[in-house]
Amino acid sequence: MALILTGLQKTNMLIFTLRRFSLFFFTLLLLTMLSFSLSFLFPGEQLINLTGQISASPEQLAVLADEYQQQSGLLSQYVSYLKHLFQGDMGYSMTSHLPISSEVLNRLPATVELACVALLVAMFVGIPVGFCAAIYHRKAPDNLILTIAMIGYSIPVFWLGILAILVFSIQLGWFPSSGQISLLFEIQHVTGLQLIDILLSDSPYKWQAFQDATRHLILPVIVVALAPATIFMRLARSAMLEVLDTHYIKAAKAKGLTFSQIIYRHAMRNAIIKVIRDIGLQFANLITIAMVTEVIFSWPGIGSWLIESIYQRDYTAIQGGLIVLSSFIFIVHIIIDLVYAALNPLAREPRHGT
Amino acid sequence: MNLIDIRNLSIKLQTSTKPIFAVDRVNLTMKEGEVRGLVGESGSGKSLLAQAIVGVLDEKWEVDADRFHWRGNDLMRLSAEERKAIISKDVAMIFQEPMACLDPTTTIGEQLEEAVDVEQLSGYFWQKRQQRKLAAITLLHKVGIKQHEVCVKSFPHQLTDALCQRVMIAMALARRPMLLIADEPTASMESTNQGQIFRLLASLNQLKNMSILLISHDLENVTHWTNTITVMYSGQFVEAGTTEQIFNQPYHPYTRALVDSSPKANRMIPNKSRLMTLPGSIPTLQHLPIGCRLGPRCPRAQQKCVHAPKIKNFHSHQVSCHFPLKDNYS
Ligand code: SF4
Repeated sequence: MALILTGLQKTNMLIFTLRRFSLFFFTLLLLTMLSFSLSFLFPGEQLINLTGQISASPEQLAVLADEYQQQSGLLSQYVSYLKHLFQGDMGYSMTSHLPISSEVLNRLPATVELACVALLVAMFVGIPVGFCAAIYHRKAPDNLILTIAMIGYSIPVFWLGILAILVFSIQLGWFPSSGQISLLFEIQHVTGLQLIDILLSDSPYKWQAFQDATRHLILPVIVVALAPATIFMRLARSAMLEVLDTHYIKAAKAKGLTFSQIIYRHAMRNAIIKVIRDIGLQFANLITIAMVTEVIFSWPGIGSWLIESIYQRDYTAIQGGLIVLSSFIFIVHIIIDLVYAALNPLAREPRHGT
Repeated sequence: MNLIDIRNLSIKLQTSTKPIFAVDRVNLTMKEGEVRGLVGESGSGKSLLAQAIVGVLDEKWEVDADRFHWRGNDLMRLSAEERKAIISKDVAMIFQEPMACLDPTTTIGEQLEEAVDVEQLSGYFWQKRQQRKLAAITLLHKVGIKQHEVCVKSFPHQLTDALCQRVMIAMALARRPMLLIADEPTASMESTNQGQIFRLLASLNQLKNMSILLISHDLENVTHWTNTITVMYSGQFVEAGTTEQIFNQPYHPYTRALVDSSPKANRMIPNKSRLMTLPGSIPTLQHLPIGCRLGPRCPRAQQKCVHAPKIKNFHSHQVSCHFPLKDNYS
């Protein structure tokens, strides 16, 4: 009997992980190349674009030119740029004259928090609703859900964000309209993720702070999550319809399982796996929405910072922010891929020719 | 008493203009312990018929019948739920492409345990889990899988097609069915594996007195394993009788052509001579001929054939043709 030993599965998973990481590595390499070439394409001196030292004296510039090996060929220039990157040196912001890396470290956690909470909300709302639509295929709930998904998908984010502020914070006064937390609370910066920091802190007003932070989070999260949630609805619906049409569902019916047993035990798991595969792709989309939302809600995240830098032609910041943001998207992508592989036994098999 | 007795079962597809009868008034009877072959080309409605019996057809198909008796019970008078309860208890079905019929993300063991009939377990609920496991392993042994430890931990794609089919049979056996419907169980398998599956089915038939409805497109392939055969063409009943009657003395022109086109039945023919075939091919659902659907391809067709023929019975050899080939043999 040609049974494959289960020990092989573990090595397969390892190989899968290694492959993903090599992909990550090469994508990052390409990104740094892009960012490096941007410094040539942006107007102004390339060295200044790269380092952000606009007010440096000629002597300092000479030192910098030496550091970045301006006299050697393009390749060694690139290599020295990579070296600086690896040491966490992304140059200085042209406007604030602070190191980009410290700015990014300050800003990124807020975006991570917003994006991850929004992703979770979008998943937990969108996927079950999509399944519902598939189960009631061609009936009233299905049509209703499809219509809602269509409308939700076509609403522009900035309009929705402003409307949400107008209605919920100005008229009704339920939620604050901007910022991450009320200035009253002083929370120590540990992980940078506000909610976690609050829980870690030993302030006596911990729970008030937590509530306040949550209230700040709700509106932006809803605005960011709406479009992805509608996408997940449609993805989940089509995945479920596809699964319900397969042979194994028919065979399960012939086995005498009831409809709800079939849905819970077989259809859901397979459909969720199909949806998860596509979540990674949607995450980049979600980040774009989050950037716009950050500007509207004055959320102190990397998105609003990056958009500001674009307005102010802070080329060094644009290059640094680009790398950080895309690596973040990519890391999430890989995590989702790993989750997908862990759930789906088929994805772990080494496949050739794909 | 007949195990199953179906008269004039039709399956239709409602379209905007007129209903299409994918299966048109077909009869099927089976006795207890019988192995019946259901033979027809693809598109002859044999799989539809089987799925209608088990009740797993899509909603778009409408099924109705003049009579649908199961062990003397008139199922037509019961509600859909009651019918489903009886059928899923006593009838099991296995399909072609066994690997596609197993949930790809669940281990074989879990799927087997799920199929185990709760009523057959005795004991308190904390013992049930263990008992389910044991029952699943016993099922695997019944279908001749001895390495059960590896098997229950595997996912379907890690097994071969033939093993998957054995697992499917094991699941089918879980409810101790009276009737097993096997829809081309060995399609796309190597011939040694085919033989093993057929032998397994035959032994189950003999040891457990389980009736089997064996669906196939290949008349010659099933003749070794069946007692009786029903032939269908394009959704219509063609001929039914014992395997010998069908294979040696087919009364219907279509069955005749099927037998003649099989090389084994024609050992006497000289090498490299043409095998006998009917002209044309099976009509599509959109263009079904009226009357006898074999009409346009039938060598014996006459004007009368635009009316659907009635079934004629010659010593339990039934044939649906205006001009049966009865007189050719004597
Ligand atoms: S009824 Fe007529 S067309 Fe049909 S099989 Fe008999 S002879 Fe041929």
